[in-house]
Amino acid sequence: MHPSVGVFGERESGQDVRGANVTAVATLANILRSSLGPQGLDKMLVDDIGDVVITNDGATILGQLEVQHPAAKVMVELSHLQDQEVGDGTTSVVIIAAELLKRGNDLVRGGIHPTSVIAGYKLAMKECVKYMQENLCVKVDQLGKEVLLNVARTTISSKYIGAESDFFAHLVVDAISSVKFVTERGATRYPVKAINVLKCHGKSTRESMIVPGYGLQLQRAAQGMPTRVSPAKIAMVDFNLNRYRAALGVQVQVTDPKELERIRQKEMDITKDKISKILSSGANVILTTKGIDDMCLKYFVEAKAIAVRRVTTKDIRRIAKATGGHVCLTLATLDGDEKFDPGNLGHADEVCEERVGDNDFIFIKGCKSARSTSLLLRGANEFMLDEVERSVHDALCAVSRTLESNYVCAGGGAVETALAIYLEDFARTLGSREQLAIAEFAEALQVIPKQLAINAALDATDLLAKLRSHHAAAQTAAPTDEKKKDLKWCGLDLVHGKVRNSMKDGVLEPLLTKSKAIRFATEAAVTILRIDDLIKTIPEPEPRQGEEDE
Amino acid sequence: MAQVSAPIQAWKGHGEQLSKNEKTKDVRRQNIVAARAVADAIRTSLGPRGMDKMIQDAKEGVVITNDGATILKQMAVQHPTAKMLVELSKAQDVEAGDGTTSVVVIAGALLGAAEMLLNKGLHPQAIAEAFLQASNKSVEILREMSTSVDLNDRDVLIKNAATSLSSKVVSQNAAQLAPIAVDAVMKALDPANPDNVDLNDIRVVKKLGGTVDDTELVEGLVFTQQKVVRSAGGRSFVKDANVGLIQFCLSPPKTDIENNITIKDYQAMDRLLREERLILAKMIKQIAATGCNVLLIQKSILRDATTDMSLDYLAKAKILVVQDIEREDVEFICRTLGCEPVASLDAFTSDKLGHADMVCEEDVGGEGKIARVTGVKGKGTVSVLIRASNQLTLDEAERSLHDALCVVRSLVKEKALIPGGGAPEMELSQKLNEWGRSLPGVQSLCVKAFADALEVIPYTLAENAGLNPIEIVTELRNRHAAGEKHAGVNVRKGAISDILEENVLQPLLVNTSAVRLSTEAVMLILKIDDMVLSR
Repeated sequence: MHPSVGVFGERESGQDVRGANVTAVATLANILRSSLGPQGLDKMLVDDIGDVVITNDGATILGQLEVQHPAAKVMVELSHLQDQEVGDGTTSVVIIAAELLKRGNDLVRGGIHPTSVIAGYKLAMKECVKYMQENLCVKVDQLGKEVLLNVARTTISSKYIGAESDFFAHLVVDAISSVKFVTERGATRYPVKAINVLKCHGKSTRESMIVPGYGLQLQRAAQGMPTRVSPAKIAMVDFNLNRYRAALGVQVQVTDPKELERIRQKEMDITKDKISKILSSGANVILTTKGIDDMCLKYFVEAKAIAVRRVTTKDIRRIAKATGGHVCLTLATLDGDEKFDPGNLGHADEVCEERVGDNDFIFIKGCKSARSTSLLLRGANEFMLDEVERSVHDALCAVSRTLESNYVCAGGGAVETALAIYLEDFARTLGSREQLAIAEFAEALQVIPKQLAINAALDATDLLAKLRSHHAAAQTAAPTDEKKKDLKWCGLDLVHGKVRNSMKDGVLEPLLTKSKAIRFATEAAVTILRIDDLIKTIPEPEPRQGEEDE
Repeated sequence: MAQVSAPIQAWKGHGEQLSKNEKTKDVRRQNIVAARAVADAIRTSLGPRGMDKMIQDAKEGVVITNDGATILKQMAVQHPTAKMLVELSKAQDVEAGDGTTSVVVIAGALLGAAEMLLNKGLHPQAIAEAFLQASNKSVEILREMSTSVDLNDRDVLIKNAATSLSSKVVSQNAAQLAPIAVDAVMKALDPANPDNVDLNDIRVVKKLGGTVDDTELVEGLVFTQQKVVRSAGGRSFVKDANVGLIQFCLSPPKTDIENNITIKDYQAMDRLLREERLILAKMIKQIAATGCNVLLIQKSILRDATTDMSLDYLAKAKILVVQDIEREDVEFICRTLGCEPVASLDAFTSDKLGHADMVCEEDVGGEGKIARVTGVKGKGTVSVLIRASNQLTLDEAERSLHDALCVVRSLVKEKALIPGGGAPEMELSQKLNEWGRSLPGVQSLCVKAFADALEVIPYTLAENAGLNPIEIVTELRNRHAAGEKHAGVNVRKGAISDILEENVLQPLLVNTSAVRLSTEAVMLILKIDDMVLSR
């Protein structure tokens, strides 16, 4: 390469850039490494204004880091993607990708062309997914309801609330089961989004509970309103209930001082009319996304109705769905008049304001359709609450995925070890250059059980050897030898430091989490391995550029 | 910066002392060096085993690509002649759409050949002249070598598109994207004008999420930026849709800055509010009366295109609304749907409506939603929806698909095929050498250099695939001399084989235009003998 390439900026190529990329990714993975698994530890992240986040969720940690290196950014995106698509397994996906990259880079340094490594990785990935689907998973229907609790328990056990995993597992499974619905196309869905998670400072995490119906972290608009109405007819509006103000470009000009008073009165009356139209339809709970004037509040107080202002659009839509009502944008009718149609009202058994901890909450109980549930989380401090929320979210995702995809596989490093053994055998059947890459892929997968053991302060080498021997026995077993075949569910028991049957002991993970993690990790590793040139252009020095040249 | 200005400064510093002859030599040499450096920079991206470049721009944005034109565009090249090569790659992109890397690599090799000839003391004009002849002859040879293709033969077209895609990041999905590209172009082909395709008739939209496998061809429209308005609880699914496209706003008229509405007494306020409602109600009623049940509203910057009230009315009239349609999309939408854009309410009549079997909003995972219009009456247009799991892949998939579309278009433009894998270049090299020997004097020398320079393509292909380039190229030369004119570098097997059997095919246009364009660029660079900086 001749120096005068004529490029403005820095340029790295070949092995240099690959090495730099791999180092950057490895750095990230090293940060996450220690938070993997049930014995993983948490990170405390302090940002530049002193806000503290305590977590062991991979996606959250990476999201908080200000990553500069472009290859590392790919990893952050990867973990974010896993979070979005699956919601769980965000740490392991990054660790696997980093391991794949490290090993890929070593192969390239050993003289194998990157494209051969990539081809091998892609082949291995496809084999993995196929093998998992065929051999390493069990249909949920075959295992009963307990399986959902186990899935939730497995996810939660690696989190801060691990000690309460039983309690939260029940909470999570109950919550997700209550939001089940069937789409128009006949697919059963368990939308995590339909579960409203509320956080309230105070009491212990064990005090967390499910609230049937919908909870809002808001107060009623005025103290004079009742704290409880039953049965509730809920009007949901998406406009201001403030005193009317003329639009821009409309001027009020009066010549007579008396007229001024009438105009003021009129401004009030316009809103008053709207309110009375709503109230006359029988509504006794009014939710608005906008504000309500103090002046207008008295009408609600007089009518003994609860009015809540500044409800978020997201919440009001969900409430509309839950209560069978409609959100009104305007009261206008096609004839140019204003009217509130009682058909827009939502119905619930009860709407009440209750005090939980230091905050007031509005609860809408006994909604007409039960498609929404709220989880009220309690905790001793804010950091804890945030972390509990993330953990519960992960668990909700895991259970929802399990229900939707209907397959689970064994946890505790069982799947990774089984795949590693399988791939090793598979690699030997190939006579091409990809063989080495596939063997390395198999090695890379074992980073998960290894890291699990290390984080639990156990002898990783010893345990892994045992685990591998079990899986090898399972895969070579005769088709009739059921007992030996069951060894394929073997995973690590990190508390007692031994190998056990994860499937039997209820350490389960949704298949989707695992297969997507492997797929995404491979794609990310391939994206980075394919790069052999990094060009950083520096900002163009604006118009002065011509002068510098001279 | 220092790197860039060094050659120029060197010239400036000594310029006065140099004799005229030395100076021009110096300028020419620098130009060649700069241009060759650019060619070297993108060499590693050539071919199916080519690698990607990661380019980080000034604003920290990252692009990962192996498309020659994109790399060069992003590289912010400074040297004027180096910029010419960037332009060259762009020209190839416009002309053929593919082969943007090879055109620069060939130009670099030709410049190398020219430099050698210059060192022997040949006059630049003579070299340029001979190169031009060689290039013309090359086009002839390529034509002879090509086989004509029938556009109805879908398989052959797919093979072509797949060859182009095989060198990209999305090569794993080539089997899926290639048929999409072929079908899209064939749909957009106007029977009245069978020699060209307007790629504007193919609307490529991208949406983050899913994987590249989810990419699909849609006969109709897909909106990814514009959403079905649901704030008023309107419909999100319409069968048997009558679609209207309006370019006016469904909001109460706004006064100009100088004009004011003046309210003199309190009753006027009532009238004002009522009037606003009536105006909107009238508009919506008129629209609904035409039988329209899907309304596309063009984006407006002057006024709100819709207000809460008009959306509410539209929902009451059971009309599905998609707003924020971009101005530049209007023409495409109209042609697809067979509707006419309506600029004022009075002109909104039922004959302006287009028809679609279904308009619906679709959840595409994550936060994203798209609006899809299918079963349309219009002809000659098609949409492709690209999906990928991250922004970088998404952008690269779009570029790759563009290349594949261009390849198919090249075939439409010039219905002939030649094999890929360096076979045509090697064949050219052989034939030109033969032809060169029949030429008199200096020309013969130049043509020989030209012919040898073309070997850079098989050489680079082999090099990028991790093979021994010298071994491969000599072997290839040998096979072509023995008359196997379709022998090429088989990257997958790492050996020489008949490339036609491997189904590695490309349009003739890509190669002819690559040779022609690179020769022209080289001629231009050779003819420069002075560089004057002016303000």
